Amino acid sequence: MFERRQFIKKSAVWGGYALGAVALGFPVFSFVGFRKISEKKITFPPDAHHAAANYKEGVYLISSKDGFQALSAKCPHLGCTVNFDAVPGEFKCPCHGSTFDPSGKWMSGPARQNLQELPVKKNPNGDIETVIKI
Amino acid sequence: MIEEWDLLFANKPGNSISTGISSYLPRLGLSALFLCLLSGVVLTFYYRPMGNVFQNVEEITTLVPYGWFFRQLHFASGQLFVILMLIHAIDHFHQKRYRLYPVGQWQRLIVSLCLCFYTLFTGFILKGDKEGLFAARISMNIAGNIPSVGEPISRLFILPGEGLFFLPYLYHCFFLPILILYLIRTHIRKWFPKHGIFYAGAAGLCLYALFVKPFVDIPPDAFVASVKGPWFFLGIQTLLKTLPATLASIVFPALFLGCVLVLPNLEKAGGKSGVEKGGLRIISRYLHRLIVLVFFLYALLTFKAAFWGP
Repeated sequence: MFERRQFIKKSAVWGGYALGAVALGFPVFSFVGFRKISEKKITFPPDAHHAAANYKEGVYLISSKDGFQALSAKCPHLGCTVNFDAVPGEFKCPCHGSTFDPSGKWMSGPARQNLQELPVKKNPNGDIETVIKI
Repeated sequence: MIEEWDLLFANKPGNSISTGISSYLPRLGLSALFLCLLSGVVLTFYYRPMGNVFQNVEEITTLVPYGWFFRQLHFASGQLFVILMLIHAIDHFHQKRYRLYPVGQWQRLIVSLCLCFYTLFTGFILKGDKEGLFAARISMNIAGNIPSVGEPISRLFILPGEGLFFLPYLYHCFFLPILILYLIRTHIRKWFPKHGIFYAGAAGLCLYALFVKPFVDIPPDAFVASVKGPWFFLGIQTLLKTLPATLASIVFPALFLGCVLVLPNLEKAGGKSGVEKGGLRIISRYLHRLIVLVFFLYALLTFKAAFWGP
């Protein structure tokens, strides 16, 4: 009888602790986990359009005969900035070796996803504008 | 059996450990820790974890009087302390001293060693160069990849964007040193009286910082073919090339750490019968061998990555 009472008492105490931990933990978790996503506009001047690949603040602007394509330079594997190697004409991640073709399509390595394509807008003054989420 | 008894009499808990690696290296480590803390305090007067961190670090190294000396002293003493602590833990493991001490003492040693490695890692990030920046991003993405709780957990340690270096800075300068000092407080009390080794270690480190130039940092915008992480993560960096990120950098290390932590519990667990006890002893013996094997494989992977690239 005494053991059962003690067990119920202990359970109530531990239950209270658990409830308190959840009541405090959930707001803390929500606060810490919150992330404000903002957008950053990146502009490539007209003289940058001639090169095969231009890099600026985490974005590659690729020019081809079909027009322009903006790609995020962030490797989809673990977030390193990929390099553009002009000789084989491919993107390569310096951290874990993933490779992507000039259109950002995954070729090899642990990434297994394509580079993120970003929207491109051509301004009347010839600037190419793109937006990246940070 | 004789070996075990010898060990028991030579290294009773509470007595100072007689001679050899376990006697000298921790005392040398203490002088490294002391210099690391001292040089760290000096560096905090100029280091800023916001804005252009790389430029700030370069200014410390090239512009601020004796900045190069304090930076190199901080780097060398921190590395030396952690390496000596690792050797100390390996020595304990090899001699099976976890049998002689209370279980909690071994676990405290391993946890403080892990915290030391995390302190080195945050220091690596705080350089603000390309390697540090990528290490920060990789760790953030690895933690973020954990299902359901990954995002909030990663935010506890690192934040994306402008404040990328702020949380690693807080951990590196405040939380981790305080926690490590608290965990090894009894050791410090025990090691401190040997002044000779302490001063010799301090003098050696100062000479090293005076005559060996710091490594060249890679600017964040520079294009380099391959970027390496800190030396103790080179093995994981290699594994990340072939295995899924969560498996290579969280599940496997956590399993290894769990095995290391649980080993003394197995040794000391009392079974209902002699057969049960004997069974646990056999399990612990095999677990000991497994830990040694995994450690050697990881060491090989690290050497391979250090000399031939990850």
